[in-house]
Amino acid sequence: MNVIRDVWQSIVRRDPLSTDKGKSELVFLNLWLHIHPAKVKKEHLKIKHTWYLGFITFFLFLILVTTGVALMCYYRPQSPQAYQDMKDLQFVVFLGRFLRNMHRWSAHGMVVCVFLHMCRVFYTGSYKKPRQFNWVVGVFLFLLTLGLSFTGYLLPWDQLAFWAITVGTNIGSYAPLVGKQLRELLLGGHSVGESALLRFYVLHVAVLPSAVILLTMVHFWRVRKDGGLSRPVWKLKQDQAEALVTIGVPGDAPALTVTTAAKDKTYGLMEVVTGKPIFETVTAEEEEDVVFSYPYAFFREAVALMATVTTIMALSLVWSAPLEELANPAKTPNPAKAPWYFLGLQELVSHSALLGGVVAPALMVLALMAVPYFDTNPSRRPADRKWAIRVFTIFVAINIVLIIVGTFFRGPGWALVPPWVHIVAGAE
Amino acid sequence: MERRTPQVFFVLSLLALVLILAAAWQANTPYWKVYQRDFHKLEAQGEPNSLTKAAVLASPPVIHQVLLTGLQRVDRCTTCHLGVEDPTMKNAPQPFRFHPGLGPHIPSKFGCTICHGGQGLATEKSDAHGNVMFWQTPLLAKDYIRASCGRCHKEGDVPGVPELTEGRHLFETQGCRGCHKLNGVGGSIGPDLTTEGASHRAPEWLERHFLTPNAVSAGSAMPNFHFTKEQARALTYYMLSLTSEDMGSYYSSVRLIPSAGHGRQLFIEKNCIACHNVGGVGAKTGPDLLGVTKRHSPGWLDEQLVNPSLVYPGSTMPVYDLETNARKALVNFMATATAEDAQAILSQRSKTLTPEDAAIEAGRQNFARFGCVGCHGLQLQGGVPNPNAQGGEVPSLLHASDDYTKDEVIAIIRNGKVPPTEDRSKPAPPLYMPSWRSVLTEEDINRVADYLWSLQKKKDSW
Repeated sequence: MNVIRDVWQSIVRRDPLSTDKGKSELVFLNLWLHIHPAKVKKEHLKIKHTWYLGFITFFLFLILVTTGVALMCYYRPQSPQAYQDMKDLQFVVFLGRFLRNMHRWSAHGMVVCVFLHMCRVFYTGSYKKPRQFNWVVGVFLFLLTLGLSFTGYLLPWDQLAFWAITVGTNIGSYAPLVGKQLRELLLGGHSVGESALLRFYVLHVAVLPSAVILLTMVHFWRVRKDGGLSRPVWKLKQDQAEALVTIGVPGDAPALTVTTAAKDKTYGLMEVVTGKPIFETVTAEEEEDVVFSYPYAFFREAVALMATVTTIMALSLVWSAPLEELANPAKTPNPAKAPWYFLGLQELVSHSALLGGVVAPALMVLALMAVPYFDTNPSRRPADRKWAIRVFTIFVAINIVLIIVGTFFRGPGWALVPPWVHIVAGAE
Repeated sequence: MERRTPQVFFVLSLLALVLILAAAWQANTPYWKVYQRDFHKLEAQGEPNSLTKAAVLASPPVIHQVLLTGLQRVDRCTTCHLGVEDPTMKNAPQPFRFHPGLGPHIPSKFGCTICHGGQGLATEKSDAHGNVMFWQTPLLAKDYIRASCGRCHKEGDVPGVPELTEGRHLFETQGCRGCHKLNGVGGSIGPDLTTEGASHRAPEWLERHFLTPNAVSAGSAMPNFHFTKEQARALTYYMLSLTSEDMGSYYSSVRLIPSAGHGRQLFIEKNCIACHNVGGVGAKTGPDLLGVTKRHSPGWLDEQLVNPSLVYPGSTMPVYDLETNARKALVNFMATATAEDAQAILSQRSKTLTPEDAAIEAGRQNFARFGCVGCHGLQLQGGVPNPNAQGGEVPSLLHASDDYTKDEVIAIIRNGKVPPTEDRSKPAPPLYMPSWRSVLTEEDINRVADYLWSLQKKKDSW
């Protein structure tokens, strides 16, 4: 019996729950309660403060990893086996079609959610001090998500994949000096071929996911360290809001006069660490607004997870991922289109290769990264940052309009064709 | 809300469970399982032994597939079409009916899609029959199925499919290669036809296109050749048979019976009669082949065909590099060869030509083979409409030597020529003389010119 108890002990690594030490260790030694604070403000949990978009993005990533690993068991990154494996998934692998659908819709969903999450963070001003760098990490995660989606796009090795990647990598080759070389490095040749398939596969299943996991850890850790999830601080009582805005500046002694040490209540290391906390703390006045993370935050997150999973499953049950004919380098579809999230870029490229394909996207990414450093206005109240919101809204609107135009309004030869005009497929 | 969170979580989890069960149910109940159950019932009907009957009825559902590794094809058709090789299923309802008249083309060796088209990988009817988006080769309609024979039988007459022979003949004589490339040879005015059989083009479309090119493809530069219905059908057959897949050599490598007929074809192709004779008919350089299979064992003959000088040191017989089944086929032919047959083979050989005649003949063949007649006409009369070119049609070549020197004509063939336009404001004429430099050798071009001049002489002598 001792052995069993010892094994159990070695797994849970805490004293029995009957003791006070065991009860506290249940919290202290718990991974989840370290990613979460022990207690959270009720406001953090309100749906309309965050729409849980960050969580949903992460859950979609979890679905993608799970289904992706399962799909790897059936996939060979070779031509034409890759395409045949797609067909086998569709026709003979048990749940194969369902898995592929889930993977595909989650991937699109993740691109959408990561973008919406970014918008939410901007509109609530959550990138402001001390979270500037976390915003930059987020921009990198956004780019990695696009990279993952783009590399995955080639793997089915059908016409859709082949030409989308051909067009997508062509856009990249417009970059001066290094564009051509970068494209060659990515494709392992001058055009999309078998070596490109293998390279995209390696990027898709090893390199990019590792990078995403690492950066996600940093991203979460910084959220936790910078005061938890976002909440509309500007709605707090005036004096509290002012205090919170200035809090979080290490070394700025006068700013931390909000609460006395007696009223201060932090969790975890409070008996060990002396001195003043450098992040948001829970004041006695706010005590009533605070709930334990377990079960309140946990259950809400679990609900978000299950909602995400069920939505993706329901979609996958009724809506199949596209699979066109086998990739044929000799037969160019007209128009050949990049994946939808790059169609804004392709639209720009159709007007000017250098400006649209290189300058504009580079500026966009740089501008996004620079946002928290240029926007030095400390207030997060929407009324105080009208211009920031206007500029960002225009940026979002331009992107969406360009993507819609590229997706629905471009016909053969990249001519402007409204989607409701049916082009009778004429023979060549 | 807070109090209801666990309930919402519970409901959503239940929903997820239901969804995954639904997905599993969907994946686990494909229609081919129903077909297999019906087939087992059909099989069990006439079974007197109750034990066997129970075993048949209880056989587990499995996917049947024919792997054609050399062709990168997998045919799962027999998952539902379970009776194709079972003669007792002659009157069974589809999809179980026996496939009569297959000869050596057994589905378990040859697959199905090779002739019928469709999507062999699929296990659901609409997908498998290929009537779905993005599958290039839907099931061929009954009227056109025999066209598939030409995918393997690329040479000679195909028994039962005169259309193919006719189609090939028309293609080579009507000058199609002038505009269309086939296996790398031909012009580039029209689309390359090398893989036309796998292009998702409906047979009906092709047939109408041959009758009146403009009817189905507006603005097509293809002239109207005024084909008859039969000719259009024949050309359609030929088009459908064109694929780049090397089916013929794949199947001959897995061929079950190396037939004497195939051996005879090889005998003619390799020109064996130039050295050998059968019962005295033919050349005397090599030994008489009559009864050779009685004098030597098949193994000895096979070795002799692999490397003649190994058996007879100093033998002048060349190494022909034949594959196993081709050698077997030749041996089978030799076993049946007769003097009369050798006579027939000999008489088919074209008579010997003088070197000059040979050059002109070669030029004429080039002229037909590379498709010059497509535009310039079978009798070189020209006359194919070419809107907005001077004269409005492709020029006749009967008077080439009146208007040009031989060197000029050679230069035109070599470099091509854009016809002078009548009206600069209108679109350029659709037809032009392509450059043949990359297709024809200098020698070939000279021969074509010789041929044109030889015609001229004929006219003068009239």
